[in-house]
Amino acid sequence: MMNKKLINSLQVLSISLIWLLFTGIAVWILNLIKESLRLHDSPDASVGISLVAIPVFFTLSSVLTYVFIGLRKGRKKDDEE
Amino acid sequence: MKWGMVIDLQKCTGCGECVAACKLENNVAIVAPKESEMGRTMLWMDMLTVYEGEYPRLRVRQFPRPCMHCDHPPCTKVCPVRATYKNEEGIVAQIYPQCIGCRYCMAACPYTVKSFNWYKPEWAPGIRETTNPDVSVRPVGVVEKCTFCVHRLQKAKEQAKSEGRNLREGDFQTACAESCPAGAIVFGDLENTGHRVNHLSHSPRATKLLEDLGTEPKVIYLKEVD
Amino acid sequence: METTPVAPHPDYDLLRPIEQPGKSFYYIVAVLLVIILYAGVLYIRQVYYGLGVTGMAQPVTWGFYIINFVFFIGISHAGTLISAILRLSQAEWRRPITRMAEVITAIVLAIGGLHPIIDLGRPDRALHLFYNGRLQSPLLWDVTSITAYFTASTVYLYLPLIPDIAILRDRGVKPRWLYEFLSWGWQGTEKQHKVLNRAINILMVVVIPIAISVHTIISYIFAMTVQPGWHSTIFGPYFVVGAIFSGIAAILVLMIVFRKVFHLERYLKQVHFSYLGLLLLVMSLLWFYFTFSEYLTGYYGHEPNEMRVFWYKFSGDFAPYFWAMVCCNFLVPLILLGNRRTRTIPGILVASISVIIGMWLERLIIVVPSLANPRLPYPTGIYIPTHTEWMLFLGGISVFVFGYMMFARFFPVISIWEIEEGRQESAKAVSERIHSYMPDPDESPTKV
Repeated sequence: MMNKKLINSLQVLSISLIWLLFTGIAVWILNLIKESLRLHDSPDASVGISLVAIPVFFTLSSVLTYVFIGLRKGRKKDDEE
Repeated sequence: MKWGMVIDLQKCTGCGECVAACKLENNVAIVAPKESEMGRTMLWMDMLTVYEGEYPRLRVRQFPRPCMHCDHPPCTKVCPVRATYKNEEGIVAQIYPQCIGCRYCMAACPYTVKSFNWYKPEWAPGIRETTNPDVSVRPVGVVEKCTFCVHRLQKAKEQAKSEGRNLREGDFQTACAESCPAGAIVFGDLENTGHRVNHLSHSPRATKLLEDLGTEPKVIYLKEVD
Repeated sequence: METTPVAPHPDYDLLRPIEQPGKSFYYIVAVLLVIILYAGVLYIRQVYYGLGVTGMAQPVTWGFYIINFVFFIGISHAGTLISAILRLSQAEWRRPITRMAEVITAIVLAIGGLHPIIDLGRPDRALHLFYNGRLQSPLLWDVTSITAYFTASTVYLYLPLIPDIAILRDRGVKPRWLYEFLSWGWQGTEKQHKVLNRAINILMVVVIPIAISVHTIISYIFAMTVQPGWHSTIFGPYFVVGAIFSGIAAILVLMIVFRKVFHLERYLKQVHFSYLGLLLLVMSLLWFYFTFSEYLTGYYGHEPNEMRVFWYKFSGDFAPYFWAMVCCNFLVPLILLGNRRTRTIPGILVASISVIIGMWLERLIIVVPSLANPRLPYPTGIYIPTHTEWMLFLGGISVFVFGYMMFARFFPVISIWEIEEGRQESAKAVSERIHSYMPDPDESPTKV
């Protein structure tokens, strides 16, 4: 049963890492916008691209999380094989 | 302030002094003959040859080609890391420590003026000691090109500041302009009506390379008149 | 619907490669690893000495690496895009194909995405893209869209894999922890199916625009410059069509290989090849249409710089490659696939390989001639790739084969649960669907 707990926590960890990755990408893009504002280096283009890119990444992670939680909730009540 | 160059093709003899002066001034690497044959010669200032007409009315023309320092440079737009940009005085600059060597700017430049350090630059023992200490030696894997001898501008500015005066026309000259024995290359501020380049750039002979691309080069050629 | 295993699994053919891998698997993996290792050594040598070890020079500053980048990313369009389109259009014959297609995408995209880094003169500074990147450069658009496509297609591969992983877990296949970890507690309950199907439906809608954007943006790398032969408005769709075209060819080759190696004749039938073969033929015609429009407008306009590049391809140094490309991409598929007697599995295999070669040549013909013909009068040599570049190309292909074999070693290449679902539900679903398009029998109100 120890093993089951370990795998369970690894699964939760992996889904958190995916969120961390996508948040990281969003932070990266926002940082590039900040940089382009600072250098007056066509910030409009940067904002335009980020408006498309960031939601795409968050859609992906949301779908994954939805499945992750959905599959857990959808398990049979009695935990017997 | 908008630095620019006027090259009078009527005066240019095609001697190649500007090419040599540039190479020495800017520590441009000398590549091995085999590499050079492959097309890896590094020249910030190049002498191009155009063949016009056919025998017996063949005519060979030569013209020096520095970086055009476009006002709308196609190269700076595509750089993914801002290793090339146009500064407030109109010079298209390269930042060597920033360049990742993707060579996108080389592919985008319609004048093909940029060179790449395919290998680590090396100098023969004697030449190594004569490199110009004012110009950084480029590392392997970065793109480089003519900078309008921007290091001379920095020096001239400091000199003028220490003397408590404004920059004069003769204070800042590029190596090619200074070395030209025929006086064909004139360098200065295109926006300053007191400078010769401003006057010459309005000459009826004034023309720019590939003007129709809308890059607005700041190197202006004065056509030959026969 | 339960997925509890019964002693001889009805789809045991799909499980055998995982439960009882053959010896030849290890031999091939060993050979591939040697090639990959060698390519890796050559790459390290390139990093050490500089890009001088390649055949690139001025003015041809982009060579094999960029060509292969475009080529591999093109192949990757096979997968997810085709699979999403087939799923979206509810084509029932998709069931044994989608998984294979999606795996291609995930692996090839990783390889293709590495190519711009191989091409960098200073790979040690690649991180500059992260802290000093400029979103106005098309290269950054690429970084963003490839990342999006890679993550989306991996998720899109993974989600439909969950029930199959659960089958392997329940059968106690080793390594158990892997399947336990990846199966996310799948038990095949109705609620779980509902969640999974909804997620797949959302993803296939999201993934199609991302896939199209990726290759459009790759074409933008070229089209955004003002260089003759590149600065073209149809480059976006032209590249997308070429990508799907080469992608379908890649799926077909893989399907034929797996059919032979894993004895999947029961699953991959003539009809699958015939349908995909026809799709390949349609894409070939579409590719020809785009190529024709691209070159005719250039030729008719007769702009001198454009014409130099044009003649360089049509009758100059690149003529052999250009005409080989036309043969490989148009004539061969047209003859082999347009004729019912040659639209057999061997015929399709030949056509697909021909298309893959042809599409690689197309990338070569797009990248090099425009660079080799600068506007100003420079002396130009000819670009000859070196040993390093060839070996890194071979290394890239080896990584692909290796990656695919590793996938097939641990996961079924044909979706078992979707086949099962097809067996149980397709006939009913299709007949209902047909019923829904057909005119109603008469005006009298009847129960539908």
